[in-house]
Amino acid sequence: MGDSKRQRILMVSDFFYPNFGGVENHIYLLSQCLIKLGHKVVVMTHAYGNRSGVRYMTGGLKVYYVPWKPFLMQNTLPTFYGTLPIIRTILIREQISLVHGHQAFSTLCHEALMHARTMGYKVVFTDHSLYGFADVGSIHMNKVLQFTLADVSQAICVSHTSKENTVLRSGLPPEKVYVIPNAVDTAMFKPAAERPSGNEIVIVVISRLVYRKGADLLVEVIPEVCRMYPNVRFIVGGDGPKRVRLEEMREKHSLQDRVEMLGAVPHARVRSVLISGHIFLNSSLTEAFCIAILEAASCGLLTVSTRVGGVPEVLPDDMIVLAEPDPTDMVQAIKKAISILPMIDPQDMHNRMKKLYDWHDVAKRTEIVYDRALKCSNQSLLDRLSRYLACGAWAGKLFCLVMIIDFLLWRLLQLWKPAEDIEVVPDIVLSHDED
Amino acid sequence: MTKIQLANSRFFYIHDDCEGPHPVDTHHIVIKRNSAWVSLAHLFVLLLFIKAIYLCLLNGTLGTIFLLSMLSSACLVKSYYGTLIEKESVVIIPSLGVQLEAHYWGGRVVCSFIPIDKILQPVLNENVTPFTCYWSLVLLVCGKKELILAFKVVKPPVKLLVPIWKALCAATCSGETADSPAEDK
Repeated sequence: MGDSKRQRILMVSDFFYPNFGGVENHIYLLSQCLIKLGHKVVVMTHAYGNRSGVRYMTGGLKVYYVPWKPFLMQNTLPTFYGTLPIIRTILIREQISLVHGHQAFSTLCHEALMHARTMGYKVVFTDHSLYGFADVGSIHMNKVLQFTLADVSQAICVSHTSKENTVLRSGLPPEKVYVIPNAVDTAMFKPAAERPSGNEIVIVVISRLVYRKGADLLVEVIPEVCRMYPNVRFIVGGDGPKRVRLEEMREKHSLQDRVEMLGAVPHARVRSVLISGHIFLNSSLTEAFCIAILEAASCGLLTVSTRVGGVPEVLPDDMIVLAEPDPTDMVQAIKKAISILPMIDPQDMHNRMKKLYDWHDVAKRTEIVYDRALKCSNQSLLDRLSRYLACGAWAGKLFCLVMIIDFLLWRLLQLWKPAEDIEVVPDIVLSHDED
Repeated sequence: MTKIQLANSRFFYIHDDCEGPHPVDTHHIVIKRNSAWVSLAHLFVLLLFIKAIYLCLLNGTLGTIFLLSMLSSACLVKSYYGTLIEKESVVIIPSLGVQLEAHYWGGRVVCSFIPIDKILQPVLNENVTPFTCYWSLVLLVCGKKELILAFKVVKPPVKLLVPIWKALCAATCSGETADSPAEDK
C-alpha cells in the first residue's frame, strides 16, 4: 500500500467543542489522528456564545467558529446561500482539497457540502445517527439528506445498521457507503488497579436522561432489580428532562441509599465514575453505534444493553448481555450479568478493547475513503443536475433549481471577490521548546 | 526617505525610515484614490452648479431654492469627505513608544500613543465575520482587556501588514522571533 498524498481536510459540523457528545468527540479525535498521519485538518462550526473567530487546539488543529447564531438544538439557521461567501473564503484561504461533513442533523454540514460540490470540491459525509421514516420531521430530514447525498463523493457510516438506514433514507448506492466504526481512547479509559471489593454489586448508568436514551425504562427496571437483589446499588450519572421521573421513583420506593444520582458528569470525570462500578447499563431506544459501552468495556465493566440499532455490532458476545427494550427482559439480562460477573477479568477486557478499537485505525481507514473520493471524476454542472433530477418528481426539479442558483451566485461571487484577492494562510508549524 | 514598498489594488504601503539623531520608523497604509471617479464626481457637481445658476437667472425663486440646496449638499459632501480616511500610520519611536495615526481627507489627524513598556505583543490576528475572514494587526497592551487595532478602518492584505508587524516585534523586543511562519510545501 503506497503512502497517501498529504491532504488538507475541512471538517464541517454544527457539533463541536465546547459541546460534548459522540459527534464532537469523533470529529476531534479523528482530526488529531489525521494530523498525526501528516494531513492538515481545519474544523468549521458555528460560534458558541463568545467563542467566535479562529481558535487553535492541540496539535495545531485550527477551528473556525463562524459567527452564525444557532437557532434550534445547536443548529445554524438554514439560509441556503448565506454561508456561501464564508465557506468559499475558508476553502480558498486554507487551500482545502476535501470537505468532510458530519451528522445529518447539522444544517451547516448540509450547506457546506452543497457549496463545496458547486465549487467542484470532493465531499465525504459521515452519518452518526439512526433516523425514522414515518413522522413528519423524519420525512423532511430524509428529503434534505437525499438532496445532499445525491452528489456526495463517498459516505461513511458508523455501523452496518447505520449504513442500511442511511442507504434506505437517502437512496445512495450501497457501494458508495463505507462502514468505519467509532473507537475509544483506551489510554484514558483504563480499569481501576483494584476492582471495587465487597458484597455489593454496583451498576453504573451514564447517559443523558431523555426519552430516546431509555430513561423511562430505567424507572421500571431499577426498583425491580433492587427488590430482587438487596446487595445491588445503582449510580446514575447524567441530566435531562427525565431526571425528575427518576427522582420520583427513588422517593416512591425509598431507594435513596440504593440509587445515587450524580447529575451531569463532565467527560473528564466519566472514567472515575465507571471504575466505581461492576456493570454498565445502557437502556437506549435507538443507537447507530454506542461509544458509551466502549468506554465502559475499556474500563473493565460488563455491559447490559438494549438490543437496538448498531449496539449488537459493537462488543463481542462475552462482554455484553443484550435485552429487548422491555423492562422484564432487561431485568432478566441484569440477572444473567450478575451471575457471570465473577468470570469477568477487567484487565483482560481492557487489553482486548485496545486491540479491537483504536482511533489511529479509524483515521487510516478514513484516509482510504478520502483517496477513493479524490479519485472520483470531476463532473460538469449538467451531469450533476441529472443526479438531482432523480430525487423525485417535484423535489428533483426543486433541487436542480437550488443548485443552479447556487452555481450562479458562486460565479457572481467570483467576479465580485476574485480568488486571487483571498490570501492563502501560511501553515503554522508548532515549535517544540528544548530545555 | 519615502518610497512605495508594496501595493495591491486598493492600498499601498510606505515605509519612512528616518535616520539621524532622533530615529523614527513610520509605516503608512494609504488608500488608493481612484482619480478617474473623483474627477468625474467633481465634473458632475460643477455641471449641476452651472445648471443651478442658470435656473436662478431664469426663474428667481425656483433657481434660488435649487442653488441653496446645491450649496447645502456641497457642504454635506465636504463634511463627509472630512470623515474619510486618507491613510493610517504606525510611528515607532524606539525606546519610547508607538503612535497610531489616522489622517483624514479634511486634514484632520487623530493620534493615540502607547508607551513601549505597555505593549506586551504585536499580533497578526485572523478575524472571522459571517461572510468573510481578514487579517488585522493588533497590539496586546498591559492593563487593557481589548486588543488595540493598529489600523482601525483600513483592512489591508496581510503581505502589507507583515513588515509592520516585524518592525513592531523588533521595537518591542517580543520573546518570539519575527520570522515568517513556515510555508506549506
